[in-house]
Amino acid sequence: MSVTKRRGRRLATLALSGVLCTALLTACGEDGTPTLTWYVNPDGVDTLTTLAEGCSTDDYRIELQELPSGATDQRTQLARRLAAEDDSLDLMSLDPVFIPEFASAGWLAPLPEELAQQATDADVLEGAAATVEWDDEVVAFPQWANTQLLWYRRSLAEAAGLDMSKPVTWEQIISAASDQGGSVGVQANRYEGYVVWINALILGAGGAIVENTEAGTDAEVTIDSDAGRAAAQVIADLAASPAAQSDLSVSNEGTSLGLMYPEGGPGEFMVNWTFIYKNYEGLTGQPGGPADQAGFEDLGWARYPQTVAGQESAPPIGGIQIGVGAYSEYPDYAMAAANCVTTVDAQVQLAVNNGLMPSRASAYDDPGLQEAFPPDLLDLFRTSIDTAGPRPQSAYYSKISGAVQSTWHPADQVDPETTPGDSAEFLADVLAGEALL
Amino acid sequence: MSRFWPRFGMVVGIILILIWCLLPVVWILSLSFKSEDSIINGNPGFLPSEGTFAGWDNYVGVWENDQFRRAILNSIGISLIATVLSVALATLAAYAIARLDFKGKRWVLSIALAIAMFPVVSLVGPLFDMWRAFGLYDTWPGLIIPYMSFTLPLAIWTLSAFFREIPWEMEQAAQVDGATSWQAFRKVIVPLAAPGVFTAAILTFFFAWNDFVFGISLTSTEAARPIPASLSFFVGSDPFNRPASLLAAGAVLATIPVVVIVLLFQRKIVAGLTSGAVKG
Amino acid sequence: MTTTTAPQKGRARPGSDRLVAENRLGRRLVLPAVIVMLFVTAFPILRALYLSLFDYWLTAPDDRKFVGLDNYVTALTDPLFWQATGVTVFIMIVTVSVELVIGFGFAMVMHRLVFARGVIRTSILIPYGIITVVSGFAWQFAFSSTNGFINEWLHWVSLGNFPVDYNWFGDTWPALTAIMISEIWKTTPFMSLLLLAGLAQVSEDMIEAAKVDGATWWQRLWKVILPNMRAAIMVAVLFRALDAYRIFDNIFVMTAGAQNTESISFLTYRQVIEQFSFGMGSALSVLLFLSVLLVAFILVKAFRVDLAQARQES
Repeated sequence: MSVTKRRGRRLATLALSGVLCTALLTACGEDGTPTLTWYVNPDGVDTLTTLAEGCSTDDYRIELQELPSGATDQRTQLARRLAAEDDSLDLMSLDPVFIPEFASAGWLAPLPEELAQQATDADVLEGAAATVEWDDEVVAFPQWANTQLLWYRRSLAEAAGLDMSKPVTWEQIISAASDQGGSVGVQANRYEGYVVWINALILGAGGAIVENTEAGTDAEVTIDSDAGRAAAQVIADLAASPAAQSDLSVSNEGTSLGLMYPEGGPGEFMVNWTFIYKNYEGLTGQPGGPADQAGFEDLGWARYPQTVAGQESAPPIGGIQIGVGAYSEYPDYAMAAANCVTTVDAQVQLAVNNGLMPSRASAYDDPGLQEAFPPDLLDLFRTSIDTAGPRPQSAYYSKISGAVQSTWHPADQVDPETTPGDSAEFLADVLAGEALL
Repeated sequence: MSRFWPRFGMVVGIILILIWCLLPVVWILSLSFKSEDSIINGNPGFLPSEGTFAGWDNYVGVWENDQFRRAILNSIGISLIATVLSVALATLAAYAIARLDFKGKRWVLSIALAIAMFPVVSLVGPLFDMWRAFGLYDTWPGLIIPYMSFTLPLAIWTLSAFFREIPWEMEQAAQVDGATSWQAFRKVIVPLAAPGVFTAAILTFFFAWNDFVFGISLTSTEAARPIPASLSFFVGSDPFNRPASLLAAGAVLATIPVVVIVLLFQRKIVAGLTSGAVKG
Repeated sequence: MTTTTAPQKGRARPGSDRLVAENRLGRRLVLPAVIVMLFVTAFPILRALYLSLFDYWLTAPDDRKFVGLDNYVTALTDPLFWQATGVTVFIMIVTVSVELVIGFGFAMVMHRLVFARGVIRTSILIPYGIITVVSGFAWQFAFSSTNGFINEWLHWVSLGNFPVDYNWFGDTWPALTAIMISEIWKTTPFMSLLLLAGLAQVSEDMIEAAKVDGATWWQRLWKVILPNMRAAIMVAVLFRALDAYRIFDNIFVMTAGAQNTESISFLTYRQVIEQFSFGMGSALSVLLFLSVLLVAFILVKAFRVDLAQARQES
């Protein structure tokens, strides 16, 4: 999930990217310098533009091409170009869940030995490094990483008597919010974000939606397990509790933002991506945000809640990796360019300017970044990314995700007794091509 | 019965028609003037509420978006080329159908009829497959060709209906003077048929301008993406909500050509639609 | 749309040279149009027929394997397919009926119009000319609980009984209602123009005669006007029905198929373009094609009308 919030400077960004692209388009092709096209998702386009300029050399120029905002649309646009063996698709920003599918279709050029080692060296946080490998090859450069934390109002947790310095469970936050008249914000619309939640819950209970994903459609469906039931239990408990938000069945990363600082009431616990901090900082004193600085300081953060008490949680991982198109006309240039836009320095720029967290540990020590975020929050981001649990890494991920969405939605119909079993059956049928999705 | 009631009913009817046709248009115009910030926080109501009037901001924002500008260019170019080509082919065919005796005429008409009813979506898969093999994927010709095919029935119908109204004695006179069928067609009939051709062109243009299915399936970048597809992929600054007011501004811009054409040529369009059109 | 097949007056010539030439010219003139029409329809649909026999994924082109009719069996036994078909048929029936009634009302008004002709004609063409996607957006935002006006107006009309924060897109029926309203809004004008053309062919004398005989307005409508514009009504219904059966744009824009509002076209599109399931997608394409043929066949049979004939009459 590549998600950020950029309330300010939206027009400026639009205008800037418009002008730059026009300028680039007219400049390209005139002097015969090869142009590399980099398909980017619309997060931090201003910084990406700067990176593209900085990484252009005398040999080639890098030009941006913006993808639609939805993850599904991004995947479709890229995949269709790749299926058409487009040689002008040089670099692409990829959500980690697409990598196995693209790599197994042979659409991503594997990194040469040296770059491969560099792109996955010890400095790269484990959660991010794990998502760029497929079939023993490194097929993308980690650029930035995203993870979910538990965001909450300190005053709410305190009133409920919850000790947030220790790991908390879903059960605890649901009952704390219910007792205090607060709510719990999650993502449970029928979309990818819901699978992020379900997957994290299942991993947190020591299970997995599917195992042996390398086998493609013959992967082993393991959602019908104790872990699956534990996850379903959390969802059912929340849906039935007074802490559930009224738009639970259509909730996404944006719908519960307003409930952190509601007109009346104690606020909420919310699992959400890293952009939350900057979001409320920018909203201080504005409608939908904290009333003043003290209100903003009431915003707390903790590691993703545990599904099972005592068992370490598996926070979701998202972000962007840069892949090189297998049909690129200039693969060597593209590799060099991809390497250039994913350096520590590039990652720091994205983090400072746009709040997109680095996938390299050393980037977190940058003074600029240390100034922009509280140190304990940065630490938490880093640990969370380092110990995150990915969604199933399967070439058929979109089917897996779709099948889970269709059987687990809406959240208030989830039944720990039947839902995991039903979804396992449906998922197996879908993988076998015996059911429509 | 007095004359009052029919007249009263007429006035009510006119008002109802006007409300029906124009209310959503006025609404999208009004929405396009609401400020983007107010949309994110929720700004219900028909007109921009106090302090949320954005002036031309949304229009400036849309216009400065390179993707949208390219989409307008694509739509205009693709639709115009498709229209010209389609009407040219349709003119030939319609002439033959209206004027000549030849074997297979019914067959041609049946094909046209079948294509007018063809479920477009069932073609996107195979067409995508073909286009990527031919290198037509995400190019102008890749859209122009299907637009031609799907507007041809409409154009053939409209045109042959018009051609039947033409005083053909003039053609016969020309033929008596020694002109061949072809010469008679070119010198005498083409000028007479021009108004019909023009009407067919407008309807064809509307179809191409309106298309969405091909627009989203056979393109993937601004190289060929037309306006409807571009609107549906419009990237706002807020990833969780559609940028309603920006989209509204884009929608208004995309509608202006249609309104201009309608204002200028409403008579011709109505005549075309009711004489031979199937759908537009 | 047939033309007179009998040789025309003054042109009948026993000599066959001229006829042969005419035959040849006629074929030559229609040939380019026919080629273009078939290139983009017949050829691809045959290819879809072929691909539908395979388990074929765009993301794994090398794993393509022949599965015979398996895809059809899967599709036809799948609840999702039938649900999408049900939704599609429902939308078709409701929208066409509503359009027919409202469109007829509009046509009656326009037929009797003595003033403001240009204004009305211009206004009625605007929904017709507007891009369907734009119509979808306009109505989606109008129904939106955060930025729309419809909830507010309904709240006011119902004296406060209708909830202002009602979510039209949270459940199947309200979402379908919103989709159908957008569809009806955009296409009623077209319907009314076709019906207007039909109305123009009903002779005023017959209506006057019925009036003299003491027939009420209602009787005149049912006994004189409607039977005399049967052909126009049938053409309008047939083409609108087939068009409604292919509904795609509004669903894509307004719900993207969420809350079980998926039509058969949308389901097919998703299999092909989003899932890259070319085998199954092709099978669905073929089924969609066949179902359109079936609907056309049923309508034509039900109306017992020769389409070609009817076109010419209207």
